[in-house]
Amino acid sequence: MAGIRLSLPSKLTQTPTNAVSRSATSLTRCCASSVKMTVSVDQKKKNFTLKKSEDAFNAAKELMPGGVNSPVRAFKSVGGQPIIIDSVKGSHMRDIDGNDYIDYVGSWGPAIIGHADDEVLAALTETMKKGTSFGAPCLLENTLAEMVISAVPSIEMVRFVNSGTEACMGVLRLARAYTNKQKIIKFEGCYHGHADPFLVKAGSGVATLGLPDSPGVPKAATTDTLTSPYNDIETIKELFNTNKGEIAAVILEPVVGNAGFITPKPEFLSFLREITKENDSLLIFDEVMTGFRLAYGGAQEYFGITPDLTTLGKIIGGGLPVGAYGGRRDIMEMVAPAGPMYQAGTLSGNPLAMTAGIHTLKRLQGPGTYERLDKVTNQLINGILKVGKKAGHAICGGYISGMFGFFFTDGPVYNFEDAKKSDTAKFAKFYRGMLEEGVYFAPSQFEAGFTSLAHTDQDIQQTIDAAEKVLRQL
Amino acid sequence: MAGIGLSLPSNSTHRPTFTSSVPPKPSSTRCCLSSVKMTVSVDDKKKTFTLKKSEEAFNAAKELMPGGVNSPVRAFKSVGGQPIVIDSVKGSRMWDIDGNEYIDYVGSWGPAIIGHADDEVLAALAETMKKGTSFGAPCLLENILAKMVISAVPSIEMVRFVNSGTEACMGVLRLARAFTGKTKIIKFEGCYHGHADPYLVKAGSGVATLGLPDSPGVPKSATADTLTSPYNDITTVENLFNTHKGEIAAVILEPVVGNAGFIKPTPEFLNFLKKVTKENDALLIFDEVMTGFRLAYGGAQEYFGITPDLTTLGKIIGGGLPVGAYGGRREIMEMVAPAGPMYQAGTLSGNPLAMTAGIHTLKRLQEPGTYEYLDKVTGQLINGIIDAGKKAGHAISGGHISGMFGFFFTDGPVYNFEDAKKSDTAKFAKFYRAMLEEGVYLAPSQFEAGFTGLKHTQEDIQRTIDAAEKVFKDL
Repeated sequence: MAGIRLSLPSKLTQTPTNAVSRSATSLTRCCASSVKMTVSVDQKKKNFTLKKSEDAFNAAKELMPGGVNSPVRAFKSVGGQPIIIDSVKGSHMRDIDGNDYIDYVGSWGPAIIGHADDEVLAALTETMKKGTSFGAPCLLENTLAEMVISAVPSIEMVRFVNSGTEACMGVLRLARAYTNKQKIIKFEGCYHGHADPFLVKAGSGVATLGLPDSPGVPKAATTDTLTSPYNDIETIKELFNTNKGEIAAVILEPVVGNAGFITPKPEFLSFLREITKENDSLLIFDEVMTGFRLAYGGAQEYFGITPDLTTLGKIIGGGLPVGAYGGRRDIMEMVAPAGPMYQAGTLSGNPLAMTAGIHTLKRLQGPGTYERLDKVTNQLINGILKVGKKAGHAICGGYISGMFGFFFTDGPVYNFEDAKKSDTAKFAKFYRGMLEEGVYFAPSQFEAGFTSLAHTDQDIQQTIDAAEKVLRQL
Repeated sequence: MAGIGLSLPSNSTHRPTFTSSVPPKPSSTRCCLSSVKMTVSVDDKKKTFTLKKSEEAFNAAKELMPGGVNSPVRAFKSVGGQPIVIDSVKGSRMWDIDGNEYIDYVGSWGPAIIGHADDEVLAALAETMKKGTSFGAPCLLENILAKMVISAVPSIEMVRFVNSGTEACMGVLRLARAFTGKTKIIKFEGCYHGHADPYLVKAGSGVATLGLPDSPGVPKSATADTLTSPYNDITTVENLFNTHKGEIAAVILEPVVGNAGFIKPTPEFLNFLKKVTKENDALLIFDEVMTGFRLAYGGAQEYFGITPDLTTLGKIIGGGLPVGAYGGRREIMEMVAPAGPMYQAGTLSGNPLAMTAGIHTLKRLQEPGTYEYLDKVTGQLINGIIDAGKKAGHAISGGHISGMFGFFFTDGPVYNFEDAKKSDTAKFAKFYRAMLEEGVYLAPSQFEAGFTGLKHTQEDIQRTIDAAEKVFKDL
């Protein structure tokens, strides 16, 4: 009854084959792969089928590259049938076969107050009656701008765009325009959207698919992109010496989420703040993931380090497409039409997206928000690590506020190379096992996890119990 | 009562000065070296035309966002006068926060082709959003919109949804380079393909509007591979292909220009491009972010009967929400991750809310008579405007295709950006301002096309022509 199509993780096998469907309660072993698929025989799992997802995804593969509009959704590094979602609410997600999951992806960050929040939906329904897009200024832009400016320490002026990719593109051009220098330093495993200059040792889906660089990116676009391992003070010092006077900016995820969850060492961020200042370079925090999540003022508030420029996304759109870049007023005043640095967007600042962002941020301002996120995520990750170690697995991980991650390696993990020591085959098995237990993690070892205000203590306990079961069988 | 903050068009003066407020009188106001004449009409309905709230809101905005806006052209810099801050839109109408009503010919720059805030679309959105606005994972609605796009657009066999026209053009460029293994591209002066570095060379839209040559912050290395030619210029394109034999990955163009004002391709131009790209193993890319689903259901490629290799879309396919797309031949699209190695991603790409808006918008466009109606009202509109202008002795030219139009204050004909720039932009600014006060909202730049929608009525058109007649006489 349960048809599970196995597409083998691209890294694991020499000759990928498509496995045939077997009956629900049997073990399926494939060729040279060591991926063991166990369908639990528990009552609630007897009905675990992904037939509709399979049909829909097969149809999708004819229509869209790889069947998806974003690579990581294709489950290539974890294997198994990608699931097609029907609906989300609070901390839960339901696929089109009717399976229910506790969701720790949260649409990759936006769902911090829970999916499909009733108050946000009501506000959206009201706002949209007046139109979803004007192509001209609206008051709601002022409102959200004020909220962002008062929240984020570095931001004195802000520009809204439609995605994190657009925000990072804009901030790069701005940094180059402002400093009149061209080179930038980024960190291995960090991901800043897919503009050409950032597709160098990038994290997220690039890391997930094992891509070195993307074809179609001219060498000329990346020669000015210098890279360093994360947390590596020595390499940064060298880069600044070797490229004296040429570096426009250092850009980083202040807590990495796109190579899995990696925290900065205590002195790392303050070192970067100092060395950029000394060299007349700008410090750019890419807070597309961490903004409004680690603290209301983001990582810069959490760590007490103020960059020159910041990018935001995900949460500030409240589930609609929004990105932003902002920072010191004198820098931002270079952006057209105030200044000559060009960047535009038809749907930027549209009233619907602004509404979603405003109401989401309002909820986050409520008392106890970050204490709650800290508490549930603490329980979650410590629970997972505990049961993992108890079952004899090499596993490490951590969390800050509503962001977490774990790696199947002893650790500690300070950078992407450390992260890559992770047993990704085991992760794939764990991932699949958890999915069948009704827990939806990010389908890649190299992505952080996210909790929300809607995750209950019961959700957490269920997750830990499931993890215990799965990790014992692994 | 009427407080109008004048910011002078940057093109017309040597030293722009900013006057923060003008005495509230229906008087002529002349400023410094500018020749912009501000006249507040004394008609009854115009007696109450005030932009006081817009002025306050915009002044506040300038402290919060660069230039007070999230996209440059909204700041009215090339037409002068107080930018208006919008309160609501519906059908063919727009209301600003001072309560002034306008007939809207911008339509949010294209998306509003079935009319703003369509009831059926809103109902569908309200229903869909109960199930969530974003999953970060596949949903069935993506399949549905993908099928609709694929069956509509001749060149598209496979499609990738993104969040904006800028993202679509970025993706398609990387893809063209990846597929051909070549690096150079040809774009046309005055055309705009979003703000990725390689495209900010002789770009149209706001870049043209602000008179920017290139944008600072764009490294020479990013644009060294971008070759440019005047639009409609077959000889230059031929020369470029000869000079750079075997190096050109693609030619990208707006098949009908909207971002330098409205400029049509000459009959042989698109055919020529199709031929020369084929002969040189280069890809032909139609940027149909504006023209897609507007010139015809299958876009400009259907209208002209020329099928490119790749196409970008945006605006209309989002139905008022942020959506872009690029698509084309299957073998090329299969290079895109995760099917292939060319990387491009997006957290909100394909989200169910945006897909819903697109699906219902396209459904409405499929109804019989859609494009006939757009052609009819837009023809009436532009011909009415041009007639009125000529009658009053102005040099004016323009045209339309389906629901897209434009006019220039020059005799024309306008075949390329240089021709477009002969336009009397000072006169355009005056015309713009006066029409605004007559309750007609055009694009605040000579270098942007205009758009109609299914909700523009005969009455809207007639009122607009009447207003134009009145304004032309005083100009």
